[in-house]
Formats: sequence, structure tokens, C-alpha cells
Amino acid sequence: MDSGKELASWLDKVLEDFQGVQVRRKSTSRVRVDVDADALPALLELLQGRAGYVHLSALSCVDWIDDDEFELVYHVWSYETRSLVSAHIRIPRDPGAYLSVYDIYKPAAFFERDIFEMFGVFFEGSPHMEKFILTEWDGPPPMRKEFDTRKYVHDTFDWQQYNPEWLQEIRAKGGGIVE
Amino acid sequence: MSDKQLQIPVEPGHRAAGGTNPYRGVFDRLSDFCRARSLFLLHYCTGCGAIELPPAMTSRYDMERLGIQPMATPRQADILLVTGYVATKTLKRIMLTYEQMSAPRYVIGICSCTVNGGMYWQSYATVKKLNEYLPVDMYIAGCMPRPEAVIVGLQKLMDKIEAGRAESWKDYYRNYDYYLGKQQALFGERWQTPTDIIAEARRYDLFGPGTLGEHTALLEQYQQPLEMPSAPVFGREREKIER
Repeated sequence: MDSGKELASWLDKVLEDFQGVQVRRKSTSRVRVDVDADALPALLELLQGRAGYVHLSALSCVDWIDDDEFELVYHVWSYETRSLVSAHIRIPRDPGAYLSVYDIYKPAAFFERDIFEMFGVFFEGSPHMEKFILTEWDGPPPMRKEFDTRKYVHDTFDWQQYNPEWLQEIRAKGGGIVE
Repeated sequence: MSDKQLQIPVEPGHRAAGGTNPYRGVFDRLSDFCRARSLFLLHYCTGCGAIELPPAMTSRYDMERLGIQPMATPRQADILLVTGYVATKTLKRIMLTYEQMSAPRYVIGICSCTVNGGMYWQSYATVKKLNEYLPVDMYIAGCMPRPEAVIVGLQKLMDKIEAGRAESWKDYYRNYDYYLGKQQALFGERWQTPTDIIAEARRYDLFGPGTLGEHTALLEQYQQPLEMPSAPVFGREREKIER
């Protein structure tokens, strides 16, 4: 446990030297790092090569439509220190493109392909950018905030008449299906 | 054999029962009786409703005492059980499975998701009305229906089969254009399956006014051979081609 704390404080020192980085330690095993988009590949290389964060456990994307930005979060895990570093970057929504980190972490290809399909964020240098899960889909990337899934559903599908007694009873009491 | 013909009194079948065969009264009633007691069930486990089937099949509720058994392949199955939400991608596989099954085939939609999308009603990727894409004999609503409800549903289907009323599979042939149109709306107009439904409809005397239409015209327009002839050519033949 002591060695874990030592490693954690050592990591904080390493990250302090890094320019344009804001470090927020959540616990001994979790660190949130906000970094400029340009500096992220260098940070990941440092974490992987020098600090033993060899496992990219997830790459997630958040659509901040009001800020006109996408947030990309790279979660990297170290088996040695048993800690997770989440590196957050913001990229502009238009054109919504970023560099692939496939050359640093090979599993990134999987996550990048998924994010390209769901959010339309293109990753330059990623080996596969074709369709992945939504093979029957030619609409806009569905996880973008501007995509109105409810409107799409009402335009595309018909509905079955389904009004059983139990639902009628609930409706009579002022309840029912809430959209 | 004597010259005298054996006279069997035969009661003509009812048109309301869906048969054009006047001998339905005897043979089909017998085969319906037997069919209802030997059902093989292909459980296409699309969603969480599948978890209610193991207790229904195994010793607790024991579906086999009703003559219902699970079956592994679509070609040997009678009932297609769609147990849960149907994604657009899954529907494609369901259509391929359904068309492979030999007639008579019955479809049961289990769970609220097959009725109206269930809790996925506002999902872009989930199909809402299963009976738009293939004829559904019965829905068992619930989230999820308990094994008792599944067994009651299957018993009702058995009664329906025995009475000769479970004939919605014929509707797929008679109104193929409608179903195909709905499938094309989701999968694109180049959608095709390995099964030639129109030829089957002609072969089995199930050709109806709704079999052909604008959507089947599209199907024929984009029809492609399923397996491209691509035998590799080596040696002198290849040299000839390259020249």
C-alpha cells in the first residue's frame, strides 16, 4: 500500500513537469488529467513507455453540443501501480477529427472505429474506419446530440395498438405512458 | 382388387379454415392433431426473454410433457420464438432464419419488445412491430413473461394448430410484397434472401394477389446469383486469359 502511495506521488511529480496539463487526483488509484489535444500523444507515450500504463481500457467520447466541442477520454491502466489515468481532451466539433493513437495502443483501433460510427469523429491514421456495428444504418452518427432519435423513430416505424386493461386503469387515475 | 371402388364418405373442408383442399376434413385434421402434439421450437434468443425458457424447458416446468422440444436448426423447427427486442441487424438474421424454416411454421413474439419496442421504443436501432416484417401467430406480452405464461401461450398455439387456424405462415406467401416492402424500407432496396419465396408460393399453390408488386419488382431488378462462379484458373488457361 505504501509503495502504491509512493508510486502515486511519483506519477504526480512526473505529470507536473508536463506542460499544459491539469492533474486532479481522485484517489490513490484514479487520476484525471486534462490535457491539450496536441500534447495527448506525447502524454500517452510517456505513460505507456515510462510509467507502465500499458493497457488502454477504454476510449470514450462526449458530445458537448453547447460548447461546440467533443471530449475524448483515454482511460489507461497500469498493472504495476494498479491505477487508472483518464486523459481528457477537447476537440472542436467541426471538423471533428483527431489523430489516431493506434501506433501507441493497438486496441485503440477498436474504440476509434466505434466512435467514428457513433459520433462521426474521424481518426487520422486509424487502420479501420469502415462500418462496425451499425451495418444497416446510413443515417447520421446516432449518438450525436443533434440527432433526434425520437423523431427518427416516429418517422420510420409504425406502432401497434396496445391498450390493455391495466393500462386503461392507470390512465383513468391520471397516469400512463410518459414521453 | 375388385372392380368395385371403395367408397369413403368424405366431408368437404370449410373454406373458412383456409383450405382449398376438399379432403382437408380428414387428412389435415389428422395431421393437425399430430402436428400440435409434436412441436420443435427454435428459440432465437434476441433479448432477455430467453432467460425464461430454460426453466420452461427443463424439469421445473417441463415443456416436453406437452410435446414441445427445443431444436437447434431452423430447417427442422416448427416454431420460431423471438424472445426480446429485435434490432434492425437482428431482424435481418430473423428473416433469413424464418425463410429457411419448412412450412408450416409458426412465429411467437415473446416480451413487450416484440410488440412495440418495449423499453427500447425510442431507440433508432430497434424494430417496433415484428408483424410488419413476418406474420406473427401470437404475442406473449410481458417484461418478461414468466414460464407459466410462455407455456399457456404455447398451449393456445397448440389449440390453434389443432383447429386448423394457425395459418398465418400462408400470409407470408400471399402478401409477400407487403412484407418485402417493409423489409426493404429498413435494409435498402437491394435486400435479397437466398430463399425464392415467389417460386415457393407458385409451387405450393399459395400465390395470392399480394404476392407480386412493386417491391418484388425491385427484388427481381437487383437479383444476383448468390454464389458467384469463381473457380480459380491456373496454368495455360490462365496464360491464355492474361494474353
